[in-house]
Amino acid sequence: MNRRAGVEVRRPAVYLGLAGILALGAALVPTTPAAAPPPAAAAPAAPSAPAPACDQVVDSLRPQGPLPEPGAMPPGSTMAAIQQRERLIAGVDQTKYLVGYRNPLTGQLEGTDIDIVRRIAQAIFGDPDRVQFIVYDIADRVKAVEEKQVDLVVNNFSVTCARQLSVEFSAPYQLAQQRLLVPKGSGIREVEDLAGGTVCTSAGSTTERELEALPVDMEVVTEVAIPDCVIRMQQGAVEAVSSDDIILAGLAAQDPQTEVVGRVLATAGYGVGMRKDAPDLVRFVNGVLEQGRDDGSLEESFQRWLGPQLDPAPPPEPRYRD
Amino acid sequence: MSAGVATRPPGGVAEPGGPGPTTRRSRADGTAKRRLPLTGNSTPDRLRRVGALLVLGCVVTAVVAAVSGYDRSQAVIESDTRIAALASDAAGLFQSLADADATATSGYVSGRRESPEGRARYDGDVQRAAERLVHAASLLPEGHPATVPVTTLTTQLPVYTGLMETARTYNRSGLPLGQSYLTQASRLMQQTMLPAAAELRALETAELSEAYRRGSALPLAVLLLGLGLLVAVLDVANGERSRTNRLLNPGLVLGGLAVLAALVWWGLATVRTGSALDDASRHTEAVTALDDARTAVLKARSNESLVLVARGGGSGDRTFAGLTEPVAGPDGRGGLLGAAQAGGADVAAVRAAARNWFEAHGQVRALDDSGRFQEAVESVIGTGPSTSGGRFAALDDALAQVISVERDAIVTDVARARDAQALLAVVPPALLLLAGLAIAVGIAQRTAEYR
Repeated sequence: MNRRAGVEVRRPAVYLGLAGILALGAALVPTTPAAAPPPAAAAPAAPSAPAPACDQVVDSLRPQGPLPEPGAMPPGSTMAAIQQRERLIAGVDQTKYLVGYRNPLTGQLEGTDIDIVRRIAQAIFGDPDRVQFIVYDIADRVKAVEEKQVDLVVNNFSVTCARQLSVEFSAPYQLAQQRLLVPKGSGIREVEDLAGGTVCTSAGSTTERELEALPVDMEVVTEVAIPDCVIRMQQGAVEAVSSDDIILAGLAAQDPQTEVVGRVLATAGYGVGMRKDAPDLVRFVNGVLEQGRDDGSLEESFQRWLGPQLDPAPPPEPRYRD
Repeated sequence: MSAGVATRPPGGVAEPGGPGPTTRRSRADGTAKRRLPLTGNSTPDRLRRVGALLVLGCVVTAVVAAVSGYDRSQAVIESDTRIAALASDAAGLFQSLADADATATSGYVSGRRESPEGRARYDGDVQRAAERLVHAASLLPEGHPATVPVTTLTTQLPVYTGLMETARTYNRSGLPLGQSYLTQASRLMQQTMLPAAAELRALETAELSEAYRRGSALPLAVLLLGLGLLVAVLDVANGERSRTNRLLNPGLVLGGLAVLAALVWWGLATVRTGSALDDASRHTEAVTALDDARTAVLKARSNESLVLVARGGGSGDRTFAGLTEPVAGPDGRGGLLGAAQAGGADVAAVRAAARNWFEAHGQVRALDDSGRFQEAVESVIGTGPSTSGGRFAALDDALAQVISVERDAIVTDVARARDAQALLAVVPPALLLLAGLAIAVGIAQRTAEYR
């Protein structure tokens, strides 16, 4: 290098060439790409257990003597425990107009079923307002009773022998007939007109099984609550909604563009659902219901809420297995 | 190849020492490249050749420096745009939608006429959401992945508001079908719209990180080319000095200095931009964590109201706990707020506000679970300092404040990065071209001496 030498072309060219190649490499080597978004979680499926087979609905337990005075429940009884807690815990619905619903103008629960809860609270405490209402989906009613989350369920709870395996019912206080709710002018008069169509009802209801059993080629879809079915019908996604006439009356009352049609597909009796290990409460509630039957206040409540919509049947005569 | 002929030295200058074959071969390559005007093997020819090589190196490096400087400036400018898009569109959209839903549902809990304040807040949320959707859509090139969530939100927003208006109409008529519509609207928001808004936000955040990365990556191509060029210039200058036993050639020296200056400019800009963008990145992570925390508490607030509206006993308070636990972590010290703190955010006030609200919420549940439903409702819709409603508002305000401070910090950081890169696409290329010019002049001077 220090020697006298000729003009060196090679070395600078090598330096530049090397730098160029490295630079090209640096520019071409891919850099770490952005992380991929996390995969979406899969939706869980809700399995429904098949109902165990049974043959016949059994009658309820007979009231024992006259009702105790409000606020003076027999010591050691289930009612005494409720009295000590200072409130009755009742499982109800709040979306069934006229039956068990939250009045959006007041925020209060109202309807025929709510009247029954308040009647029982009145009999225990002498105060119809000592109630904690808990709302359950139709499909969760049996579980609420079984798991002792509530003292009783009053929520269009049809007495069926399958449910009687895990729930003790009061004597039925109201009779219901399963029918159809359709848009006015739809031309649908009977369930057979729904062939090829879609009908909606609430998941876990007796109606769901009745519809599935019908020899009509229709699709049965379910929603968590029956008003969601009406929304779907209003949106044109289903042709009809099927449920008990008492429930359908409340739905028809909210949408004058709908009507209740068709023959009676099934009948059911609504009972107050309670635990099997609290027969004293069942007898007590039957006593409260008899009182309402005898003094006409039960029928009066039905008439007050449902009278404008349908001619409600009077409370059925109770039968007991003793 | 006529290498044999070309090696005859017409200029009378001795061949450089070194292994013959290698020399011949590489010279042959050199002559092959530049055959036309520079093929001669005289010293001036060789000088011209090496000069041309260096000038070419300067021009190529200048072009690479210009392109890569422009790209980095663009990356920083894009960071700016993305931050704006993220703040005003993606995160803001999420915020507006979640707030609209929380407002509508908590208004319904009261079981009274909807308050004018609540109505105004809901309307404002919906309007802001729509404005942000329009803006977000206007920024999206065709086929951009964010088009999917933006389309989802644009199509579902009117469906949501439609369901809400139907709910209002039924509520005003005193019919419970309104509640079913409200539930359906809320479900649409929680299960379809908010996830889409979250996806949009994730995409924007990813693009922001990519812009940060691009703006602060080590500029290897420029540095390598510049260094190679510098070494080559030094080598030639040194060779000329020792060959001619003269002083350094001023042109080559000036050229070398200019190349060095360009390199130093790049190096400084890289270091300063890198540190500014690192800060911006840290603050962005803090804001992301805070946004997530705010989302979580808004969802929890909706849930608090809905559980009360639905009197949903049995399921307990698991949903609320599940929504709020990520905010402060299971021990109340980590979680999203911990992540925000790690990013430099001052979350002490938020932590305190969160503790207060969780405590008030616990009281709400205790009231409801012990049958004192009406008192629970009063606490949820209340605005006083001990009510759940009031404490939630305080928490939301505290979060909004920290988020705003952090966003300002990001803007400052990116401005710093922009300043550090000012003229990066102009000055180093200009210096390199200047170097090329100086080298050309210097070599021309030297070759002129051979005439």
